[in-house]
Amino acid sequence: MACSILRTSGAVFFATAVTLFGAPAFAQDIVLGASVQLTGPVANTGRYYKDAYEFAVDKINAAGGVKVGDTRRKLVLKLYDNQSDVNLSVRQYTQLVSQDKVNLLLGPFASNFALADSAVSEKYQIPMVEGGGASDQIFARKFKYIFGTLAPASDYFASTIDMLKQLSPEPKTVALLYADDAFDVSVAKGTRPLLEKAGLKTVIDERYTSNASDFNSLLSQIKSADADAVLVAGHETEILNFVRQAKSLAVAPKMYSFTVGVPSADFRKALGKDADYAFGMTAWLPSASLKDRWFGDAVQFATAYKAKYGYDPDYHAASGAADVEALAQAMENAGSVDPQKVRDAIAKLNFPSLYGTIAFTEDGQINLAQTVIQVQADKVVAIFGGKGFVEKPKYPMPAWNAR
Amino acid sequence: MDLLAQVLINGVLLGGLYAVMALGLALVWGVLNIVNLAHGAFIMLGAYLAWHLYTYLGIDPFLGLPLTAIVMFCVGYMLQRGLLNLVVRAPMFNTLLITFGLEVVLTYLAQLAFSADFRTINPPYAGNSIALGPLVVPLARLMAFGVAVVLTVGVWLFLLHTKLGRAIRATAQNLVAARLYGVEPRHLYAVTFGIGIGLAGAAGCLYGTVSQINPYIGATLTAKCFAISIIGGLDNPLGVLVGGLVLGVIESLTVLYIGATFGDVASFGVLVLVLIVRPSGLLGKTA
Repeated sequence: MACSILRTSGAVFFATAVTLFGAPAFAQDIVLGASVQLTGPVANTGRYYKDAYEFAVDKINAAGGVKVGDTRRKLVLKLYDNQSDVNLSVRQYTQLVSQDKVNLLLGPFASNFALADSAVSEKYQIPMVEGGGASDQIFARKFKYIFGTLAPASDYFASTIDMLKQLSPEPKTVALLYADDAFDVSVAKGTRPLLEKAGLKTVIDERYTSNASDFNSLLSQIKSADADAVLVAGHETEILNFVRQAKSLAVAPKMYSFTVGVPSADFRKALGKDADYAFGMTAWLPSASLKDRWFGDAVQFATAYKAKYGYDPDYHAASGAADVEALAQAMENAGSVDPQKVRDAIAKLNFPSLYGTIAFTEDGQINLAQTVIQVQADKVVAIFGGKGFVEKPKYPMPAWNAR
Repeated sequence: MDLLAQVLINGVLLGGLYAVMALGLALVWGVLNIVNLAHGAFIMLGAYLAWHLYTYLGIDPFLGLPLTAIVMFCVGYMLQRGLLNLVVRAPMFNTLLITFGLEVVLTYLAQLAFSADFRTINPPYAGNSIALGPLVVPLARLMAFGVAVVLTVGVWLFLLHTKLGRAIRATAQNLVAARLYGVEPRHLYAVTFGIGIGLAGAAGCLYGTVSQINPYIGATLTAKCFAISIIGGLDNPLGVLVGGLVLGVIESLTVLYIGATFGDVASFGVLVLVLIVRPSGLLGKTA
């Protein structure tokens, strides 16, 4: 008898403990689930998404939450660390929808993750808005529940190649290097026809292993082939090694451009003065012309973000914040948190945000033009956008010993 | 022709760096029969140590190298005394488990302490190079190569000609006989492991100067060191130098002639070949 009372009271206590500590979300809260890289080799960029998601959720809650129908409801973020492991992230998304019963999904960082994780959102028919995967492969499968706020990977070098045609002396030969993963392969695939159309001669077109640390052989080939412009699609660690080794082998093409790294504060910090002259691209720069319902505009977003997290937000962070806004806006438009209704509302979205106008194509991807940027004296400068120059590029790049 | 010569230079210099990274792993493996899966993590710690010395105290990485090596030696000595001596006679599986655990712990502690940001040790001369006609020799890599040769030959001479070195070799060959001659194995194991970790620390200084540092570089470095040790053989530090050079040159030539995605295929292919043809390594004693 006593034993059964003990057991009952134990169960009651346990149940109370669960409601008190285990489930911070009240019934009316809307839970957004995500799995991002907080540890592991991609943690460096993964944490931008954690910070951006939290930042946007806090801001929307501070403004009273999301107005669904007649009630105002708060957003709650349920975040897992996928340890930079694709398989683990798939399991975590499955857990988010099947056990944690989150309402809607936010994406992971990087195309290979989004590629795998979007299968989960599709299977369970829970919409996922992701701001970390740009590969065209993610959106080529006619999935209905995945939406992406990064510009298509195949377009990453489009504005850069437009710019090449307007530089003087005009570069004639190009070397294209890319890592062997979903994003970078998509970049290379999209870049080749653009190079051909622009009449540039591709002297090197080489795929390398992700996480490669030695670029000496490739750099020697670039030097030997005398490529004027070098376009590299890869990861930040590889780009750092590439630039450092280019310097130590005195390889200085007229220009080089990288898909990642250049917009990040971290990149400039690691390379110091050697980061100068590097071209890159970004679909987002904090501009007062990007008005936002919650943050005012992109400049205010960037200022508040830096004050809170201690580093400048780049397009990853802006894209992540825009994902939260897209879900919030879609729920308000739908007047419901029903996944199906929210999904249809996301597909119809068209609203201005700190990141740009959020509107998705038929495939579910956003369409944003890339602005060419360059590191000049430790600052990121917008060089070329749309059809013309914004600022004067530092071109051609001088020899390393003449800097 | 210039391209081939340049790529060969790159390969040889890369091989020197490989050798110094693998030296400690091979020593510990050969003497203690511990395959230290945390070896790469110790290289990473050494690199961070050198980075802090350079960034906050302005100590040049090549001058900071002995200091880093000494600090890492102490870390290694204490780890062996406090932890690894418990399992040194256990089956190899246990030592694999414990060093793997150590790798995970060190990696995540490093992320907590240093964040996942990338770092580089970037003294002003790090990017300089020496021009030999059309060929270019990167200065930092050349210096790293020099250090690698000095360390390898130093460890070799130490094992051959000092009392301590002879005691280490004696213990590796026959523990019972060595004890009969008054060798205290616990201390000796700790010294050996300390030297191994000290060498990893030294390698970290060099690696940070020519590449980049983040908490996750360890695992791939361990795999590479493992391959080099097998290729070169565990008997002799000079074997590790040969193993490193062979691997560096083969990888560079593979990238040039076959393709940049095949570097790892080539290096682990060579590993398999060596295991088939000369299981005790290129410079190992034939069984």
